[in-house]
Amino acid sequence: MLRRLKFAGALGVMLLLALAVSAEQRFPPPDFESGYRLPSASTPAARLLWLQYADTGVFLAALGTAAWMIYKKRSRRGIFWLSLFSLAYFGFYRKGCICPIGSPQNVVYGLFNPDYAVPVTVLIFCFAPIVAALFAGRIFCAGVCPQGALQDFMLIKPVTVPPWLEEALSVVPYIFLGAGLIYAGTGTGFVICRYDPFVPFFRLSGGSFILTVGAVFLLAGMFVGRPYCRFLCPYGGLLRLASLASKWRVRVTPDVCTQCRLCEQTCPFGAMREAAPAGTSPNTLGAARRRLGWLLALLPALVVAGGWAGSKLGPAAAQLHPAVALAERYARQQTDPVQYGLMTPEALSLQRAAANPEAVFTAASDLRHRFDLACCLFGGWIGLVIGVKLLALSVPAIRTDYEPDRGACVACARCFTACPNERVRLGWMPAADKPAPL
Amino acid sequence: MNTALLHRALLLTAWIAGLFCLLVCGIMLYEHFEAATRDPWKSPQLLALKEKLAAEPGDVPLQKEIRQLDQTFRQQFRHRLSLDKTGAWLALGGMVVLVLAAGKAAALRTTLPLPQPKIAAAEQTAKRASRARWSLAGVGLAVAGSLVMVGLDNTSVLPANQAAWQKLTGPAGAEETPAETAPTPSEFQANWPRFRGWDGSGASAQTNYGTNLAWRSAIPAPGHSSPVVWGERVFISGGTAARREVFCYAVSSGALLWRRAVENVPGSPPKVAEVPDDTTYAAPTLATDGRRVYVFFANGDLAALAFDGSVVWTKYLGPLKNMYGYAASLAVWGNNLLLQLDQGGTTAEGSRLISLQGASGRVLWERSRPVPASWATPIVIETAGKTQIITLANPWVIAYTQADGAELWRAQLLEGEVVPSPIFAGGYVILANPGSALLALRPDGSGDVSKTQVAWTSENDVPDITSPVSRGDLVFTVTSIGTVKCAGAGDGKKIWGTNLDTEVNASPGIAGDRLVILGEKGVVVMLGAARQFQEMGRSQLPDKFLASPAFANGRIFLRGATNLFCLTPDGGKPAKGP
Repeated sequence: MLRRLKFAGALGVMLLLALAVSAEQRFPPPDFESGYRLPSASTPAARLLWLQYADTGVFLAALGTAAWMIYKKRSRRGIFWLSLFSLAYFGFYRKGCICPIGSPQNVVYGLFNPDYAVPVTVLIFCFAPIVAALFAGRIFCAGVCPQGALQDFMLIKPVTVPPWLEEALSVVPYIFLGAGLIYAGTGTGFVICRYDPFVPFFRLSGGSFILTVGAVFLLAGMFVGRPYCRFLCPYGGLLRLASLASKWRVRVTPDVCTQCRLCEQTCPFGAMREAAPAGTSPNTLGAARRRLGWLLALLPALVVAGGWAGSKLGPAAAQLHPAVALAERYARQQTDPVQYGLMTPEALSLQRAAANPEAVFTAASDLRHRFDLACCLFGGWIGLVIGVKLLALSVPAIRTDYEPDRGACVACARCFTACPNERVRLGWMPAADKPAPL
Repeated sequence: MNTALLHRALLLTAWIAGLFCLLVCGIMLYEHFEAATRDPWKSPQLLALKEKLAAEPGDVPLQKEIRQLDQTFRQQFRHRLSLDKTGAWLALGGMVVLVLAAGKAAALRTTLPLPQPKIAAAEQTAKRASRARWSLAGVGLAVAGSLVMVGLDNTSVLPANQAAWQKLTGPAGAEETPAETAPTPSEFQANWPRFRGWDGSGASAQTNYGTNLAWRSAIPAPGHSSPVVWGERVFISGGTAARREVFCYAVSSGALLWRRAVENVPGSPPKVAEVPDDTTYAAPTLATDGRRVYVFFANGDLAALAFDGSVVWTKYLGPLKNMYGYAASLAVWGNNLLLQLDQGGTTAEGSRLISLQGASGRVLWERSRPVPASWATPIVIETAGKTQIITLANPWVIAYTQADGAELWRAQLLEGEVVPSPIFAGGYVILANPGSALLALRPDGSGDVSKTQVAWTSENDVPDITSPVSRGDLVFTVTSIGTVKCAGAGDGKKIWGTNLDTEVNASPGIAGDRLVILGEKGVVVMLGAARQFQEMGRSQLPDKFLASPAFANGRIFLRGATNLFCLTPDGGKPAKGP
């Protein structure tokens, strides 16, 4: 096993480095006016409007098909083929763009920058999976998301992540979401897209850092089911919240759960929850109530502390914005001049700044103020997320059956056929062979 | 098929697919590192050719050579890109086979679940929740720690508070300066608006200058800046590490009308950099456009003052890397101010030429310069259909367009510490390569004109500190040991020479038909600015002189170490008219 792991590791690293090879090579445009058109290597070219609507149609059809496969057909095979289609179409053909995962950034950027009108197609890509999740859970993750499909196909031998670690890491997507929305709102860039580890694979192009991160996720994905979806995907975080209120939910069996526990090990994503009868031991009830009270009181304190810590982050965070970075470079050049090479980007940017330094500093000042406020909110958001999660972990769940967690379940349909009731329903086994409850 | 056999076959397939992927990736990696040497961003060969082209932009064969090399790199790149793409697809195909085969093999060995009854399930659930809370707290602490570390590691040099920002960005609407008309050339010529007169030549077209003392006034602070004159005002600067000031005197009486300290300049550190006493903080000569007077000090403070002494704007351009102290003077052209900010020991360290809007101080353009510190002042000339800024520094004479600072031509003619400023006379830019040669350049070339545009060189009695001066057809130079030379502006040939037997650090000037030379120890010598040597007068002033004379409206202004002197033909009533 160890030998295999080493082999897989070496293979993954080599593959990623090799992809980085083709990705990192960027050719400068010629220095002569020759009508040369710079090839766009990392971002797909703009698409005709009708093709954008066609993509949207395919996307909505895929969502509908996923819901039909999960709730009506209850077919793992159907979800598998739909995932394969999504990987090919939204992944390798559309090169991961447009993608719902990054779309909240467009929406937030449009909210804070009146010059940018969010396209209707982007709005549909952003909100359709969320609306679908309010009714049918994470059907987007099930078979429409190419990133999820890629990880799903890489899964060879799943291992169980300890529940305590799973719960703790489940807050990370919300932190990433907060950071992504801040940088989008301030016009710095779409960091969620920039640091999407799988898009470079779809485009066969990307920086070595993100390709290496992608390789790590893919290698981890051979043994840990969908690591990006579970522990980092910000859009997954939104869908998780929406799914908590979903009208329908994925059930292992539409029939009565016999609590045979055969489904317990079938979920590679740690989403299966055991039955938990109502009622708490009188010995622990008092302590549980006190803990809940303390955590409720702690929640505003965590938000305020987070906001305070976040407010200290503004100047450092703002340096990622190109306008602030230019002001920094220009100011540094005044006190500690650096001789940049002829026609280098640095020298050219300094020349531009020198033409109107007041404008550069004014823009930087405005952005710094925006970042100060945004980082304060970001810190508060982190405090809120952790506080709410602590509360959620302190409220005992009541479940009569074994069932997938509404938020964590990606509706992959793997658990369906593990259930004897489902097998009987499908006619795969006689009813007499059903195991008795444990 | 036998399950064990199938399992072995699948494992074998997975191994073969894996080895195939390794092989493909290995080839791609080898190609990558091999190709890195041909990256045109880093190719020393291509970069060297581009540097060469920057010096000689008109060199067509060189352009062809660069294009050819560039094209070769591009073809190699495209070829490799195509190989990479094929390799990437092959590797992905291999990965698919590997994952399918390994996944199937793993599935064959999957053991079916055999759940056992759970004991104390509720307690276990509570324990898991407790662990999850603690681990979540750990994640929270890790995130908080990361945020604090990022916040503490802030390397921003931008201000942290609102007041400091306002100093950087200026008051609201500061950039909206009202349009103002530039002074006319005749206004400039009637005054002495910058170092060595309106065109930097050191010559005044007016006549009837004399050497009788009309007045003298005490100068409250040390400095070597030369006087500038506009209308009824004469300006000089002076200062120390503690305080740097501008002094405004009345032309007619010498009365000190006002003095204004330049202080609280945004960004300027309270503790100023040390400047050698011999140079002083006020060596750069001021400049004026008749609307404002501009001053620059060796600590990097730049200011514009209104004629009533009020501060219009200030800027900090320091700290300046100059081993002897910054001494190049300001220049004006129209409404704009020019500053040649050369810095560095033996190599360029932030050297640049800056053009600012006089009314607002806004930087109009700025050009990086490939030269170390120099002490020469730029001149602006109109020739060959262009308005050119001529700059000197080791080793380049570089001409820029006045409008946007684009480089016009350059010549590698200078060495050592370049102090004398250039002049424009007889259609030539005349300059001194200190201690080596006096040169004349035709300012109508482009690219590197080192070997093509030098009209003549003259190698004897070359000034090392002072700048040349010309009457049009004649060029006069004075060395620091007092050797005067008259040469033809057209050919550089010596016409006459003499030695004044006095040390001279001030650049000579021409007032009408007289060559005015100011000795360091106060001797004022007037020679005929003519083909025949003639000493027209000599007088003595009680001061030490390093600043150059200024001529305006029949008056000669001399800045000594402690006094400002005004000389007129009759010692009180200046001669009227040129």
